[in-house]
Amino acid sequence: MRGGKTHANGTPRRVVVTGSGAISAVGCDVATTWAAIRDGRTGVKTIERFDPTGFETRFGGEITAFDPTILGRKAYRRMDRFTQFAVVAAREAVTQSGLDIASAPERVGVLLGTGLAGIETFEATFEMIHDKGPRRVSPFAVPMTIPNMAPGMVAIEVGARGPAFSYSSAFASSAHAIGEAARMILDGVCDAAVAGGSEASVTRTALAGFSAMGALSTRNDDPAHAIRPFDRTRDGCILGEGGAMLVLEEREQAIARGATILAELVGYGTANDAFHLVQLPEDGEGLVTSMQQALDDAGLAPEQIGYLNAHGTSTEMNDRVETVAIKRVFGDHARNLPISSTKAATGHLLGAAGALEAVISIEAMRSGVLPPTLNQYEADPACDLDYIPNVARPVDVDYVMSNSMGFGGHNTVLVFARVH
Amino acid sequence: MRLSGDSASMTDIENLQEPSRRRVVITGAGAICAVGNNVPDVWDAIRNGRSGIGPITRFDPEGYETTFAGEVKDFDPAATLGRKEHRRLDRFAQLAIVASREAVAQSGLDIAAEATRVGVLVGTGMGGMETFESGTETVLTKGPKRVSPFFVPMMLPNMASGNVSIDIGAKGPNFATISACASSAHAIGEGLRMIRDGRADAVIAGGTEAPITRMGIAGFNAMGALSTRNDDPAAASRPFDADRDGFVLAEGAAVILIEDREHAIARGATILGEVLGYATTDDAYHMVQPGPNGEGATRAIKLALEDAGIAPEDIDYINAHGTSTQLNEKLETEAIKNAFGDHAYKVPISSTKSMTGHLLGAAGSLEAVITLCAMRDGVLPPTINQTTPDPACDLDYVPNTAREASIGIAMSNSMGFGGHNVSLIFAAPGVR
Repeated sequence: MRGGKTHANGTPRRVVVTGSGAISAVGCDVATTWAAIRDGRTGVKTIERFDPTGFETRFGGEITAFDPTILGRKAYRRMDRFTQFAVVAAREAVTQSGLDIASAPERVGVLLGTGLAGIETFEATFEMIHDKGPRRVSPFAVPMTIPNMAPGMVAIEVGARGPAFSYSSAFASSAHAIGEAARMILDGVCDAAVAGGSEASVTRTALAGFSAMGALSTRNDDPAHAIRPFDRTRDGCILGEGGAMLVLEEREQAIARGATILAELVGYGTANDAFHLVQLPEDGEGLVTSMQQALDDAGLAPEQIGYLNAHGTSTEMNDRVETVAIKRVFGDHARNLPISSTKAATGHLLGAAGALEAVISIEAMRSGVLPPTLNQYEADPACDLDYIPNVARPVDVDYVMSNSMGFGGHNTVLVFARVH
Repeated sequence: MRLSGDSASMTDIENLQEPSRRRVVITGAGAICAVGNNVPDVWDAIRNGRSGIGPITRFDPEGYETTFAGEVKDFDPAATLGRKEHRRLDRFAQLAIVASREAVAQSGLDIAAEATRVGVLVGTGMGGMETFESGTETVLTKGPKRVSPFFVPMMLPNMASGNVSIDIGAKGPNFATISACASSAHAIGEGLRMIRDGRADAVIAGGTEAPITRMGIAGFNAMGALSTRNDDPAAASRPFDADRDGFVLAEGAAVILIEDREHAIARGATILGEVLGYATTDDAYHMVQPGPNGEGATRAIKLALEDAGIAPEDIDYINAHGTSTQLNEKLETEAIKNAFGDHAYKVPISSTKSMTGHLLGAAGSLEAVITLCAMRDGVLPPTINQTTPDPACDLDYVPNTAREASIGIAMSNSMGFGGHNVSLIFAAPGVR
């Protein structure tokens, strides 16, 4: 990444990844999640958390194997589910990193993204007011619903006292958190950060809201095969829940303390379409700008990208426009570029999608296996690139790119480099 | 430029304060809140000590513990934003657009000419609450299939920032910074860093909030956070006063257009001030209570002074967070004393929340706008409703009446639930 401050010895500051954490419909940690995605398994199934009768879409990427009491019998009740996911994923990442936060807590930030934050708590609180009146509302209701409670609680959990707040840009939120945290490290605002996001969107109101937009698949009879990014028969996305975190760290500090480096964050680009609240411009302008910026930031030519983890939501619009944008940026190389969307495994984690896909992209690089796009049945002439259909592909790559786009015209692109 | 700070507390970064660092100035400001629907009206009310707090009209507060708030008055969203358009915007986005338009118009910036170099960071604490409530109510009472397709795009917290960028055509970096009552202060600070880093040449930075809803009042009442002085709303917000009993919920939006100084000069813009310094810390202590002794806030203040390259004695005015809660002002006073030493007793401090109420995610940017006006006119805004001093708050809070004073450099502090602390430092044009 460009523009970082320099060390006393003249070398520029750089950002590496020393830990990762994840919880999703296919696993409560990175290893399990990655194995499932690599092996083509999915956690998308009929909703169990509430009775989805009467909803147009009745399935999602729900996490059924998670027991929140692991956070502490009293503590977990004071966290909305989205905060619980954040804490669990942050714990995994920080533990893996071995970072001694207590030795310089003010030099460690917590920068997280979310789209809907504590929507479940909000629903329950509103229901309480509706049924029983305003005076029965819990004193924890407001703190539990607000987006910044995830970074607030993670900061308490890991003892970090540097910059900590939440980013919101719909489905680009956690990608923004990662990119911006890296910029803070480059600028010397902090030396390390827990960066990522969480989302607990499998709730009645979220499901109703996204359904009303026509954004969700209605393949209720076959949830496991419903999400088909880039496929001609795709009919929408699906809500998924979970959390994903990276520990980002200044490179020389990481090396000096003997940390295991998982990858380096070498590029970050972001731009806004300024076009429409939810529709994408046909030429994918904002995404094109963001991909080019990320490549420039990394000092890379497009041909050097070995794998692109697409936003790939499985909506007609997104996958078509994203394909256009990829072609504009990569030119002829677009046809040689392996691309996949991993949203079929976990559902669309909304604000946490960017972070989960960063975790997955890093695992792909480290293991030398590119994850597939599941449920590829019929080719769409408008989406005619190599989406690694159905089966993972063993390939060693040196640079991966991850795209995230959110309602409101937000586009964010991250580029990671393999570390040998 | 005086360098200050203890070098042992800094890392080995050489060029943190190098003279070649881009300077960031302010070329536009916009605001709409309980005391006025544009910056001149807001400032006129503030300097004259007028309160905008009154009984709630946005919903029927019968049965609620607190029945008053700081509501925007005489705002017709249909007339201002369009009959069709305004219906697709939650109130928090409507207010943000109004404030942004004012700031952009004042700046004269030609956004279309360099759209990708103009960013938008509009924070909020709670996003589209009214929309959220009505959507939840629909699911509850009518079933999921009756929810509007606009529900999601209206309630997402980033939609103020997203809508502003569509309205003004800005295509640079864009996201909402969310940190409860520090949200819009974070937006300004992160916008400052973006311009310094060369990632943008201008940023519309600030925040918006429309929390005067059933959930907003009930939720904050449940925390014991709101004043319950229902019989005298205008006297309820009394930061630092011994009889303060909680904050007054308020709505509104405010943004400043911050710009690379060379860029502003080259196009002949009128410079309203400069953003000199920014720092942010986290208490990592408790869900809602601030850390003991105001440690996180103290650290943010000190780091902001370092970032600005100035000493405490260079600060001529502090616009405090001053929410009117017992806990906040006690700790904020401690933090100012810890950071400023003896100068704490000389620097005038005031909380304009005494007049505007607490705009949550928009508080920081509204207070930045007010601070700019104060510097321009050489007038210290008062903290109104000061009748009984609190022995634990013994500094100069500019009680009740505005005071003339030359303000070359001012500080504005914001602290949010969840332990977030932000300190911003501004300079009047030409001071540096």
